[in-house]
Amino acid sequence: MNNNINKDKGILLSIRVDPTFLPVATSFVENSALAFGLNKKEALALTLATEEIFLYLIKASSTDHIITIRCSSGIYYVKADFLFSANNFNMRAFNLTTTISPHEEASLEEMGLLIASRSVDRLQVKQEGAQSIHLILTKEKSYPSVDEFDLTTLPSVENVVEFSIKSATGEDLKLFVMLLNSHYKSFSFPKDFRFPGKVVDMVRSGEYEAVVAIDQKERIIGGTLWHWLGSKTVECFGPYIFTQGSDLSIAERLIEECIKAIAKSDAVGLINRYPTLELPKDYFEPLGSLTFFTKDGSPFSITAYFRQMQEDLGSTVWSHPALEEFLKEEYKRLVLPRMIRLVRDQGETKEQFSVLSAEFDRINNFVTLRPLCSGLDSDKNIGAHLDLFKKESLSTIFFEMDLGKSWQVEFVPALFNHNFKPRIILPYGGIGDIVLFQLGEKH
Amino acid sequence: MKYPDLDRLVPDYVKHFEAYIPSKPDDVLKRLFGCRYLYRLNNNENPLGPPPVAQSIIKRFPPHSASIYPSGDAYHLRYKLADRFGLNPEQFLVGNGANEVITFVIKAFCQEGDNIITADGTFAVYEWVAEFSGFEARLVPLKNFGFDDEGMLSHIDERTKILFVCNPNNPTGSYWSEDKLRNFLDKINGRQIVVVDEAYFEFVEKEDYPDSIKLLSEYPNLVVFRTFSKMYGLAGLRIGYLVGSLDVVNIIRRTCVVYSVNVLAQEAAFAAIDDQEHIFKTREMVKKGKDFLVKELDLLRLQYVNGEGNFIMIKLPMSDSLAYRKLMSKGIMVRTMTGFRFPNWIRVTIDKLEVMEAFIEALSKVLNTARIENQKKL
Repeated sequence: MNNNINKDKGILLSIRVDPTFLPVATSFVENSALAFGLNKKEALALTLATEEIFLYLIKASSTDHIITIRCSSGIYYVKADFLFSANNFNMRAFNLTTTISPHEEASLEEMGLLIASRSVDRLQVKQEGAQSIHLILTKEKSYPSVDEFDLTTLPSVENVVEFSIKSATGEDLKLFVMLLNSHYKSFSFPKDFRFPGKVVDMVRSGEYEAVVAIDQKERIIGGTLWHWLGSKTVECFGPYIFTQGSDLSIAERLIEECIKAIAKSDAVGLINRYPTLELPKDYFEPLGSLTFFTKDGSPFSITAYFRQMQEDLGSTVWSHPALEEFLKEEYKRLVLPRMIRLVRDQGETKEQFSVLSAEFDRINNFVTLRPLCSGLDSDKNIGAHLDLFKKESLSTIFFEMDLGKSWQVEFVPALFNHNFKPRIILPYGGIGDIVLFQLGEKH
Repeated sequence: MKYPDLDRLVPDYVKHFEAYIPSKPDDVLKRLFGCRYLYRLNNNENPLGPPPVAQSIIKRFPPHSASIYPSGDAYHLRYKLADRFGLNPEQFLVGNGANEVITFVIKAFCQEGDNIITADGTFAVYEWVAEFSGFEARLVPLKNFGFDDEGMLSHIDERTKILFVCNPNNPTGSYWSEDKLRNFLDKINGRQIVVVDEAYFEFVEKEDYPDSIKLLSEYPNLVVFRTFSKMYGLAGLRIGYLVGSLDVVNIIRRTCVVYSVNVLAQEAAFAAIDDQEHIFKTREMVKKGKDFLVKELDLLRLQYVNGEGNFIMIKLPMSDSLAYRKLMSKGIMVRTMTGFRFPNWIRVTIDKLEVMEAFIEALSKVLNTARIENQKKL
């Protein structure tokens, strides 16, 4: 792992939101992106997003306002952070469902933000104070997928006499990724793991860690990866075992290695949403299951597992009254001490428009919605997203709600109205616990 | 008022240090977990409390004395300790629990770029104090649940200032014999300070277990920690001490915060030292509790490490933090061991027999429920 790269805080530019400085902002982002390793096409996509955001801000704030742009490298992606204040920043355009009408002036103004959001791979919005906005745009590098390699020629390993565990980097990691693609179905790992070179860079960036098990002849016989999800939770994958017949002691050692690596960190929980049959169940507790569908439409379920890394000190979560019963039952089943505080609408003024982000897994045919802000149109907005997914034949739809953010539970009535069901709680998955809703089968 | 620029003000080593959050008070925990009572088997406290003579001092403490500063350097207690161990009173420094004397030693000897060495699976405060003070803590994995002397020696470099040995070790209860400790000190040969933390000294009856204070005359780089929190039942008053050679202690005194030990703690500790009967009674209680626990753990077919001290480490066929929550809901509080890099292990303080029985009953229920749930899954 190259920690020096991970510690890179990036390059900063602070300028006035003035049309004169538009070329400065765009050339700064373009050249930074190229310097951090994006190809020309990828760098231009990030530059286009920058241009659109800057142009929008020229209209939404005054020229004496300062915008700070920070470009940084995550090895497998380049991230551009925009920090600014704006009096009238309408994030509605970041909804996937937004369409632009050439006849509406307000709608045309938002077209730039729409273009910005569609030009990048990930978009995060954080409201920091009344008018302070933090936009994070991420553009990933392209990598060849495992489909471009012949996986049938990979060596199979038998007669394992003894094994040891070691950190994985470089060529070991590429081989490990190809082995896991040849031994496991696509639902056993996230879509990023279809790109060996990308996984190498993900580990090199320090965001992911990987260990592999090797036998007495130093052949790779298994492995696992893990990464941080926010500031409190670590997610692990697998473990993946490539020997003939599954040897649970290898799996146990791999998981122990992961647990020990994060044992003295501030991780509160370790989750596994991509468990394999070899996952040592004694080290985890089942959170519940989610339903997925194969390409021929057959349903199957995957259980999500959790391990608490520290003694639970208890915490408070926000809930809508309609969700309270589910939470009480689940917290009782999981023996999690929680104070549930109800959020009720008492007539206070709300934002007009809600915003949702959508993360797709096209290979496994599912999408996860996450709220960026709540608004009076929550019901309509969710409905519009569902209509869009229906057109794209997406059958598996999740909605992630952070119970540590009171405004997010305002989506509960709309979710129930559209036949979403709360399925599992991911303790400490966000600011607070996360509830994962799944759209009912009638959709 | 302008908000402070914390990014500039806070040193990097503090930014990256995660604060330890202690468990909530018992009344809050009982409410959160819905239990009527709570047996605290998590902190290795002495359920017999302080020795009777110390208890009577606490009971008779005159309220007006609370308005008077205590002796700034625990004068009478140091003289009593010196008398007891046949040493000079200036060889002792008393602190607000052993945790405070750890801070004194690290501050006295370490500067930017220095490091300390200790074990990975041991009392974490040596490591914490070093790290939030900006010094590297080199953690050597345990070997067969014990401190690895050769491993520690191999980690020494020219910037190593202190080696911490917890003897017996918390949480595994392993210990170094006098021969092993002497061999270690011989190899160090005065190049570094060696701290031997004997927080559980009074619980150990093994013949080859060293009384490190007796080694001070031969090894002037040795510093020994003792506490009144464990055997003497004064954890709530926070008082512990260190003892070393005159020259070394004279250095440590420069970083010592005076007046940090309250008057009641000083007086109760002063009285407690003489009570040998209390030590015998506590040892007897620990022996009975361990005998019972070991028998029951064998019946439950659970792996355990029964070393020295008033605690036992048990490996569970389930996540230790899940077991913690389930035991808490039954009124039993244990210490999870994941943070010590012992996943699925718990550490249990030995208490009176009836409490140990309650613990085994609760643990059996938790394990049975887990077994039934696993069978259902199959």
